[in-house]
Amino acid sequence: MKMNKKLAEELELTFKDIEVSTPEDTKIEIFAHKEQVLTILRFLKDKGYNHLALISCVDWIEKAEFELVYILTPYLQDYEAYKEIGDIHLKMRIPRENPEFETVIPIFANAEPYEREIHELFGIKFAGHPRLTHLLLERDYAIPPFRKDFDTREYVKDVFDSIPPIKGEKK
Amino acid sequence: MDREQVIKALKDSGKWGHKYSFWVVYFCTGCGIIEIPPVITSRWDAERFGVIPVATPRQANLFLITGYVSLKTLRAIIRTYEQMPEPKYTVGFGSCPINGGMYWDSYNTIKHLDKYIPIDGWIAGCMPRPEAIFIAVTHLWTMIDKGMADAYKKYREQYKYYRRNQEMVLGELEWPPLYPIDEDE
Repeated sequence: MKMNKKLAEELELTFKDIEVSTPEDTKIEIFAHKEQVLTILRFLKDKGYNHLALISCVDWIEKAEFELVYILTPYLQDYEAYKEIGDIHLKMRIPRENPEFETVIPIFANAEPYEREIHELFGIKFAGHPRLTHLLLERDYAIPPFRKDFDTREYVKDVFDSIPPIKGEKK
Repeated sequence: MDREQVIKALKDSGKWGHKYSFWVVYFCTGCGIIEIPPVITSRWDAERFGVIPVATPRQANLFLITGYVSLKTLRAIIRTYEQMPEPKYTVGFGSCPINGGMYWDSYNTIKHLDKYIPIDGWIAGCMPRPEAIFIAVTHLWTMIDKGMADAYKKYREQYKYYRRNQEMVLGELEWPPLYPIDEDE
């Protein structure tokens, strides 16, 4: 039996109501409910997945849901033991109306900039985050710019194209 | 130098001095800066044309804006440009400062750089070759000879409108106006 199948079975036995699949030999995908995410992350961290590589966000506008993807890798661990398992993608969905989720900083401290970035680009609030301020952008947007219903062309027309050119009149 | 040119150089020695000593400020705005290291080093050797990079805007008189300009960078560009001593020349490098380039519908890059600071010339392309920089430099020589490279004078004359545009896109600016603004008009 492949190593990643083994871990997938163990996950399914430990947690109820999660969907575990192994689309590739060196990848495990987990679909979990909102409430289970923190416990699964703690469980995986104890298993040796001690590095949160990325938090990503997907806007499913037709289903009115945001999907958060936590990508975990074993970092500085025994390579031979982990190379067959590979990365773990933990996915969960939250509703698009007033999106809010808990921060994972107590488990992975490096989640801080990722959550700030998702907060400013998608407008998801992370409860318990110490400073949810701007990371990259300077101005406030009515709709966060990475949402699917943000019309970039309309925005450019309103903001940048409305600035008049300098006339070259000499005094 | 030819004998004929000696008289010409002595007649307008200020222009002659400006022409052959361009000090480029080290300022990386975007991807275009990747063309600058080969230009200033042995492969193309920009010093043949009198172009030398310097570390601070106080010592520079040529400003190459290389690549797309985001709002945060625009703030830094304006501050750098205002610190450079006159006469100063600006060249937009690549298609992004001209009209946005491939970022024409981006939410965070400005599209027309000449609405915010004056530009003497443009180098089109994505990316322009290093040779294009030398064509621009020689073209700038001609413009200085004819007195056409006067964008910094335009900045002084039209400063009110430049400042207005800068405030429109950046909000409140945290530095005082470079030139006095009379509100009478």
